[in-house]
Amino acid sequence: MSEEMDKARAAFREEAYERLAELEATMLELEESPENSELVDRAFRAMHTIKGSGAMFGFDAIAAFTHEIETVYDLVRNQQVPVTRELIALTLSAHDQIGALLEESHTGKTADEDRGRSIITSFQNLVPADEPPTDDTFFQESSLTPQIQEEKDSEPEPLKEKEATYRITFIPDANIFAYGTNPLLLLNELKQLGKCQVIGHIDKVPPIQDIDPEICYTQWDIILTTVQGVNAIKDIFIFVEDVCELSINMIDRGEEGLLGDEFEKKLGEILIERGDLKQEDLHNVLEEHKPIGKILEDSGLVKSSQIQAALAEQKHVKEARELRHKTESSSSIRVASDKLDTLVDLVGELVTVQARLGQLASVKNDADFLLIAEEVERLTAELRDNTMSARMLPIGSTFNKFKRLVRDLSNELGKDVLLTTDGADTELDKTVIEQLNDPLVHVIRNCIDHGIELPEIREADGKSKRGTIHLSAEHSGGNVLISIHDDGAGLDASAIRAKAVEKGIIAADAELSENEIHSLLFAPGLTTAESVTNVSGRGVGMDVVKRAIDALRGVIKIKSTPGAGTTIILKLPLTLAIIDGLLVKIGKNDFVLPLATVEECIELTRQDIDKVHGRHVANVRGSIIPYVHLREEFNIPGKSPDIEQIVITELHNQKVGFVVDYVIGEHQTVIKTLGHFYKNVEGISGATILGDGKVALILDVNQLLQVVEQEETQIMN
Amino acid sequence: MSKKIMTVDDSASVRQMVSFTLKGEGYAVIEAVDGQDALLKLKGSNADLIITDLNMPNMDGIELIQKIRAHPDYKFTPIIMLTTESQDSKKKAGRAAGATGWIVKPFQPEQLLAVTRKVLG
Amino acid sequence: MSATEIRETIQFLTFQLQQEVFAVEIAKVREVLELASITKVPRTPAFMRGVINLRGNVVPVIDMNLKFDMLRTDQTVNTCIIIVEIRLDGEETLLGALVDSVQEVMDLHPDQIEPPPKIGAKLKAEFIRGMGKHDDRFLIILDIDKIFSSDELNRMQKVSRSGSSVREKTLQQDESVEV
Repeated sequence: MSEEMDKARAAFREEAYERLAELEATMLELEESPENSELVDRAFRAMHTIKGSGAMFGFDAIAAFTHEIETVYDLVRNQQVPVTRELIALTLSAHDQIGALLEESHTGKTADEDRGRSIITSFQNLVPADEPPTDDTFFQESSLTPQIQEEKDSEPEPLKEKEATYRITFIPDANIFAYGTNPLLLLNELKQLGKCQVIGHIDKVPPIQDIDPEICYTQWDIILTTVQGVNAIKDIFIFVEDVCELSINMIDRGEEGLLGDEFEKKLGEILIERGDLKQEDLHNVLEEHKPIGKILEDSGLVKSSQIQAALAEQKHVKEARELRHKTESSSSIRVASDKLDTLVDLVGELVTVQARLGQLASVKNDADFLLIAEEVERLTAELRDNTMSARMLPIGSTFNKFKRLVRDLSNELGKDVLLTTDGADTELDKTVIEQLNDPLVHVIRNCIDHGIELPEIREADGKSKRGTIHLSAEHSGGNVLISIHDDGAGLDASAIRAKAVEKGIIAADAELSENEIHSLLFAPGLTTAESVTNVSGRGVGMDVVKRAIDALRGVIKIKSTPGAGTTIILKLPLTLAIIDGLLVKIGKNDFVLPLATVEECIELTRQDIDKVHGRHVANVRGSIIPYVHLREEFNIPGKSPDIEQIVITELHNQKVGFVVDYVIGEHQTVIKTLGHFYKNVEGISGATILGDGKVALILDVNQLLQVVEQEETQIMN
Repeated sequence: MSKKIMTVDDSASVRQMVSFTLKGEGYAVIEAVDGQDALLKLKGSNADLIITDLNMPNMDGIELIQKIRAHPDYKFTPIIMLTTESQDSKKKAGRAAGATGWIVKPFQPEQLLAVTRKVLG
Repeated sequence: MSATEIRETIQFLTFQLQQEVFAVEIAKVREVLELASITKVPRTPAFMRGVINLRGNVVPVIDMNLKFDMLRTDQTVNTCIIIVEIRLDGEETLLGALVDSVQEVMDLHPDQIEPPPKIGAKLKAEFIRGMGKHDDRFLIILDIDKIFSSDELNRMQKVSRSGSSVREKTLQQDESVEV
């Protein structure tokens, strides 16, 4: 902008010199024919332009000086000051003075200020004493001082007034449209000042055949609650003051409202208080009673629209008061997050104790005891939810960060990508949000780098040049689903497969379903881009994302259609402190599987195992699902029951079963860390304490699977 | 599509200032040097807003506003006049001719934009 | 750390592993528990017996007999878990030490304590703070922080992981997981 401003200043200087030359020529002509009013006009205009533009581009001294001359010339134009030789001589010296001032502005050669002052005095002496030289006072104070600023220009600090509600009646002239004014824009401006209710009165609109579309028939009542004060409202109507009837009245203001009619009792209430009337009787009478608005309307004293306006006003004021009351009483406070963390820990312990209480109550089977246990359970659940929600933050701020990322990356890669978002107000535990940032960045980078095609390619494929990445978040049970969809090329299954074979991740003849191929993306070291760009990086694939999501006890799913794009869905628990788990038993050992990963539980009989020749695969409604026999895997002594349970989980597009003795059911799992001693344990992510005080281990299903796979490969080799 | 604004001023520096300020906000700008030039350029250009100076050679601002208002295409188009502090009578004349609003010179780019937004919505 | 550092009368808790008596500084001991249900964590060495619930906290339990390469601690009426507070990687951590029995709390004067023997002890010298003499018996004063240092833990875990035979053995020893 300042560069532009410098250009404009240079243009002004050039222009001013032209105008000065014109002024000089005009003066010489005027000397020949002093009666020519056209010449006076021209001189006036020249000075007017110099003054107006000069002030705008910071040539304040020139503007101030020229203003004085122009003022006298205005009188010359109106023939209140005659054209004389003296005037022309003075104008020519004024011309020289302006020239000197112009030169000063870019050469630094100082113009003679005293000379300027004496020229102005001489000009003012030309004005007859009874002629007021000017009708404005603006330049008089500040003449020849460098800082010229009209009061209106220097925006006064907007005074934050107390919130108040105004009734604004705006009756535009019928011909307001002829001034190029759109009254609706004024209403929109009002809406920006605060909570605003607009009631249009259309009583004056004639029958359709008589309507003149160039005439404004409508008038408005506006009820506005704002902190901006009445002047801000008046400013909105500044251009229409002369073509409308406008009245602005304050109808409610902060503290006055509390003492005013709010505490005025209604007649019925007083009668009830004095015992003269029963509540039900009052109700009955009131029910027969028509609303006052209806009575008045029926009587023809007021029009229906007027009643509507009054009712709207009543409602608005009431709402404004309620809102004020609410914000006054429920304003938020800042709490250090470690205090919240402590609270969450305590709630976790309470949940554990409550589970014990519940278990004990059901053993004792005493009705009163059970009742108390249930009450405690309910309160604990509420307390838990409330505590968790205090740590919840909307994911929107994270989404916003990605706008910049998408913009920068797509520019860098010569792609045109639009990021759209949905569900920015979805709330998640703050720890989850913090840990989600990096994996999301990675996924979005991948979308732009590998997913969205170059604009030319997109166009050739009949797509819009601009690609879209859609980021959305929504709640789904105790989980949050975050989906990242791009409308790019989709995944190239054969390329992924080839790469995986090349890297030795799968055997060349492996038979894989599309889902299984997609899940290869999460294998370490697999990247499918033909060239390594500095965007997605070298050799860092989606395995980074997978690890981060695993750490959050989340699950990734990929859906992709060639040519139509890819969707990556992250399913995450709302919080890291308490999860919904599935409690299972093997022998006397308890384990918890994160419910987010569990698809279903089915029975596994000896026959089922026999049928597949002891191989660890189960036939579930026709599809073959590999499973891990946890008793074997964990070497838990004892014998499995005849009918075992298989818990089917779905992880990163892959279905795997875990065989356990019994499925106990859902369990609110307060996660406890196993601490330093067990930090190297694979397949177990923590522990939780059950109602009977026993410790159950929480399975890290994903890690467990990797361990099993590694072991199997070792055995095969 | 971006809104089209015509700036009419005999001063190149003012036109330049108005033009870069508005273009910076994404408006399309047509420049005219006086009333006659403006009328000529308005034909078929569908301006959404006209910002005009009042003092101009050939055809001044007042006459321009009258002529614009007489044109069926521009009957309801917002017109902003650039006035100076002292020209109250001029302002009234412009208003009578059908100007929508005014900006007092000298003005800052922000004021120009505020008024533009006000009348264009 | 050597016995010379013990300059004043200190209280010790003594406990028994097999036939030998050991002592730990009482300041390190939080409490003594009767043997409760221990949850074995799969895929961990045998000396790491599992975790217990200590009033809502999950606390690991170490079998001291196995730690000192003796036989697995059997469950008897006298079997106890001594909860000690140790520093592990700069953090205060609670740990349960499974022992055959807890004996008594006693005062030992500095002159009752001798430096650890350079040879002849079954334990690594660095685990021993000194030898206490009490009623003509010797007791081994343990340096509990050293025994459970993270280096030591890593060493132990590596040993038990190397080779499947070790793992098989561990599993068999774990048969009474369901205590």
